[in-house]
Amino acid sequence: MAWTDYCLRLRALLFRRRMDEELDEELQFHLEMQARKNQRHELNPTEAKRQARLQFGSVARATEECREARGLSALETLVRDLRFALRMLARSPGFTTIALLTLALGIGANTVIFSAVYAVLLKPLPFKGSDRLVFILKKNPPRGWTRNPISPAEILAWRNQSGAFEDIAAYTQETCVLTGGREAEEDPCEVISSNLFPLLNMAPSRGRPFSAEEDKPQGSRFAILSYGLWRRRFAGDENVIGRALDVNGDSYTVVGVMPSNFSHLYASPFGELPELWLSGIGLSPTLAWNEYFGIGRLKPGISLGQAEAQMNIVSERIEPMNKDLKGWRAQLMTLRTNASGDTRPALLVLMGAVIFVLLIACANVANLLLARGSRRASEFALRNALGAGQSRIIRQLLTESLVLSLAGGVLGVLLASLGCKALVALAPPFLVKSAPGLAGGATDLRVLAFVLGAVIATTFFFGLAPALQSARPNVSETLKETGRSALQSPHSRRFRSALVVAEIALAMVLLIGAGLMVRTLAGLTRVDLGFNPENVLTLRVPLSGERYKEPQVRAQFWERVVSAVESLPGVGSASVSRGLPITGWVGQFFTILDDPNPPAGQVPAANYVVIGPDYFRTMEIPLRRGRSFDDRDTQSGERVVIVNEELARSYWPGQDPLGKQLQIGGQGPWRTVVGIARDVLSQGPDGGFNPEMYIPYQQFPWLMRGPTHLVVRTAAAVKPESLVRAVTQEIHRVDKNQPVADIATMEEIALEPMKQQRMVMVLLASFAGLALVLSALGIYGVLSYSFAQRTREIGLRLALGADRGSVLRLVVGSGARLAILGIVAGTATALILTRLMTGLLYGVRPADPVTFGVVTFVMAATSIFACYIPAHQAMRVDPVVALRHE
Amino acid sequence: MAPEPSRLDLLQGTLDLLILRALRSEAMHGWAVSERIQQISQDVLQVNQGSLYPALHRLEHHGWIKAEWGVSELGRRARFYSLTASGRKQLEVEAENWSKLSDAIARVLRMA
Repeated sequence: MAWTDYCLRLRALLFRRRMDEELDEELQFHLEMQARKNQRHELNPTEAKRQARLQFGSVARATEECREARGLSALETLVRDLRFALRMLARSPGFTTIALLTLALGIGANTVIFSAVYAVLLKPLPFKGSDRLVFILKKNPPRGWTRNPISPAEILAWRNQSGAFEDIAAYTQETCVLTGGREAEEDPCEVISSNLFPLLNMAPSRGRPFSAEEDKPQGSRFAILSYGLWRRRFAGDENVIGRALDVNGDSYTVVGVMPSNFSHLYASPFGELPELWLSGIGLSPTLAWNEYFGIGRLKPGISLGQAEAQMNIVSERIEPMNKDLKGWRAQLMTLRTNASGDTRPALLVLMGAVIFVLLIACANVANLLLARGSRRASEFALRNALGAGQSRIIRQLLTESLVLSLAGGVLGVLLASLGCKALVALAPPFLVKSAPGLAGGATDLRVLAFVLGAVIATTFFFGLAPALQSARPNVSETLKETGRSALQSPHSRRFRSALVVAEIALAMVLLIGAGLMVRTLAGLTRVDLGFNPENVLTLRVPLSGERYKEPQVRAQFWERVVSAVESLPGVGSASVSRGLPITGWVGQFFTILDDPNPPAGQVPAANYVVIGPDYFRTMEIPLRRGRSFDDRDTQSGERVVIVNEELARSYWPGQDPLGKQLQIGGQGPWRTVVGIARDVLSQGPDGGFNPEMYIPYQQFPWLMRGPTHLVVRTAAAVKPESLVRAVTQEIHRVDKNQPVADIATMEEIALEPMKQQRMVMVLLASFAGLALVLSALGIYGVLSYSFAQRTREIGLRLALGADRGSVLRLVVGSGARLAILGIVAGTATALILTRLMTGLLYGVRPADPVTFGVVTFVMAATSIFACYIPAHQAMRVDPVVALRHE
Repeated sequence: MAPEPSRLDLLQGTLDLLILRALRSEAMHGWAVSERIQQISQDVLQVNQGSLYPALHRLEHHGWIKAEWGVSELGRRARFYSLTASGRKQLEVEAENWSKLSDAIARVLRMA
């Protein structure tokens, strides 16, 4: 029967009116035929018709029965339920608005965070077979160094000898200054091995990739442009292939343009996205410079661990070749892990938090529905008495819930598109980089599928219990009691209280999480950086081009810029440096004259900072002993170095470092220590203090290019930002072809490492705030509802002589009971869950008593506040009115 | 008005059988179905006209008969019902069930 049945039901649904008309016509035809027959029995027409009707019986009833035979389809039931649900929701706009907003916020928050989780952690990278692509770094366990770039010696050895890889490609990051033709511009670029793009299964959309021949450092040089650079600098010129391009003073030939959708996600998230790729990487098996990154394609069936083990055998084999290879071991991670950076724990914590928010939202809406269900009890009882089955009523109520959560979901997705923008604004740059398209909101189909799943789960979470409650009818009881208020069974009251306790507990966990992040951030901002970041402006001038290949020319450039800037009004002092505090660590080995042959693997190493005179004064880094650099420290003067306290402690413990001598990089002149500077945080708060050595730029050695940054301290009342223009003008007055990049205040740079924690804090705090409001609403709702139901009882108590204080105590007491239970449960849960946050915390333990104490107080205060209105209403009950009422 | 012959009320479920049987040879509209049943049973079986149409619609839903609009002997639009293939099978099944049942009842009555 099935097929015809469905067709006819569908037809009945779609063409209801036509079906009714046809039925009517059919029955009229029958009556007419009967009347005609009757006429043959010599009745007059009127009488014949009357008899026909009598013989037929009730036309209306036959019509109804025909309709029933036609049957109501499941779809029709759904449509009816939906229509009814919409009517019911429209009838109580207050309830609907609150429920809708609650759900929209809950679902919206989930959508935003899931979008980020999906984009950053789950989404496959756009490279074919990306599951076998690994990012290759190295670590030095004896020294505790990790995530270090690798050297060509290792890349070649691992590729040829480990047997774990189909291929390994390499690249190194550089800064390129493009000159010639248009205004000079500076872009991040990479020198790559020719097999990089084939390994990623990507190819230029115009032109060709590099050939293996072009990996050689000698000979002609070639460049591939990013789509963006091609559009910007070459106006999308189709004839760009074959054109010459001046990069860092050398001439390159453009051979290709990468497609617009080429993803940079193979690269380290901390580097900048390259705009230009250059040939001539020149990997040599004897080169041990740690300036390269490797990308490998694992052989099928080889795991990360296996590959690392096989690579380490090779590492041990090549160790004796070069002392710089001592102690290094391979460190692999999937491209996805690499691209996600350290965001994983933060995102997982946030995902947990938004799920909590959604659960709280569900509990709240469930509570509202339960209260409404009690009010509608007589409606359900009546429906039940008229023949509606329990399952029918449950279905009706779940439909109402589904309408709510679907509408909430739609609103939530709309809110999420705003939320995603906010998230991108808050997020650390590397997170944004590793999740392109996140700012666009929930557009990915899988994210929308998640939202739909959340909506359906939500429907059951908040809708099922109230539906079951309402559909458990006690018809005669309820109908008898209609108009009286004894509808709330103890069972239902207990259930609603349990929901509120759960809400408070969840809110507690969120508040404690947010509290810990606030403490973390406070800790981070209080950290003594070792210098004074206020009123310091920094700018980077890469100084490239043929002219600046000569060290003396570079030195002259900086001397002129510094003296010009120092004479600007509002400038306190100015200096130059290569390497700023906070931004990272550039390790360099050195040799101590007293101890020239340390055991391999223990060669001293320190952060290498090239500075100008006045650097310590400009950064306000206190000099502990000795002197700063000055006019004496020229190319012809005695070679000098200033070390920090940590270096002195590490390598000359208990001795006077002043006058000691060291040699940088194992060659060049010996330098005498002339000063000891206070420690600064070179890698941000997490990195702690490291050994550092400062070299005057006028005596810069053979291996580094000299200063890159200008640092300017402004007078106390002058904002550093206000001097950007004037300083840039002075630089351009010295050389108008030098681009000025990375303009930032030192305060901004100091905040940079905290961005992730700040994002987590802001988001957790917003979620916790939302949770607090929702749970307060929950307490308020349950109390005010249950005491509104107990008006009579309170009236009686008052009439029997209870004073209003005792009524207050009654109401606040029941609220407090819920709050205490919730706080205890929440504290216990938080003690377990906050441990998962350990990696995000700084200077505060997961079980921080201050946070737990403050949050308990906040929660308790909020709960009591939420009791206030119901208590106030209960106190104002007039016994006379209350007893007469009903 | 002609004297009414004694009439039997239809047993539950037998109406379907009679409708299917009436439609076996040709398509006809509702009124004709009721007339046919009455004629063949020599006015013994009186179809309750009010329940005829719900039964027709029910059978249509089962897929045993199908309905089409056609032109009646009066030149008016009328809904003609005809038996489908599965309706024919159903008729056989039900007819057989019915004869088994009536045989059984007859046997019981004879025994008593």
